[in-house]
Amino acid sequence: MMKQLFPIGHVMGFIFSLVLTLVALLVVYTDMSYTMGMVILVSTAVIQATVQLFMFMHVNESKEDKNTLYINIIYAVVVSLITIFGSLWTLVWDW
Amino acid sequence: MKIDNSLPLEYRNEENRFRIIGFWIFLGAEIVLFATLFLTYFTLWTRTGSGLTAADVFVLEPVLAETFILLTSSFTCGLAIHAMRQGLIKPTMWFMGITLLLGAAFLGIEIYEFYTYVHEGLTLQTSAFASSLFVLLGTHGAHVTFGLLWGIAIMIQLKREGLNETTANKSFIFSLYWHFLDVVWIFIFSFVYLKGLM
Repeated sequence: MMKQLFPIGHVMGFIFSLVLTLVALLVVYTDMSYTMGMVILVSTAVIQATVQLFMFMHVNESKEDKNTLYINIIYAVVVSLITIFGSLWTLVWDW
Repeated sequence: MKIDNSLPLEYRNEENRFRIIGFWIFLGAEIVLFATLFLTYFTLWTRTGSGLTAADVFVLEPVLAETFILLTSSFTCGLAIHAMRQGLIKPTMWFMGITLLLGAAFLGIEIYEFYTYVHEGLTLQTSAFASSLFVLLGTHGAHVTFGLLWGIAIMIQLKREGLNETTANKSFIFSLYWHFLDVVWIFIFSFVYLKGLM
């Protein structure tokens, strides 16, 4: 019954997400450079999102629709990144 | 009712399959919506004028609690769908209920946070930093609030109709929404709070 209600994939995903949160906390609790901190935050956040996407949202479960969903998400993420970094580039970073 | 795992109930008919794809497209638009709010914050977060700064108002503990609560609710939401796919209505309802309670707890802490900020003198009108922070957090909080109402409505339907193609489809789509809100929160936690406290 426990195994039926708590599948190993979901439990692993959950534990993994908790560990990633603790790793992200390092940037506050240890003394590190800004670059190092950002590298840690970007990596943990992106891995967290990927864990949710595959382990909980099952983005890859439908053979027929898988590619449609991938293209949709990649498109949204690319537009987001261009918007965010384009704005930072023109408005914040003094180049 | 035993359901074949290779073809979940919520995918059984063509229309429901398209509803799921359609919802993913909506989530794509939501990603871009939150991206614009994030970029507004990133651009303006140092513009505090004579008001309080991020370092003045951010406190790690309540935010960390919010993070763990939301991560756990995302997990229980996944368990609800897993139970649903095996036709186990009772655990589905229990996990959905726990998910929504955790969501309510998250919202409670967030409201308390807002109350504290305003009490300390950081309001929507204080500075560009304050405005962009409240709009970003508020939009996420409003999504969670909507998710709570939506989840309650789905639980009522599950109770009334049991598991069928329609209710399974609605529950699955709700779970996508809930996991998505968790992802958005992770980005707020990392790039607003942790970065601000760094």
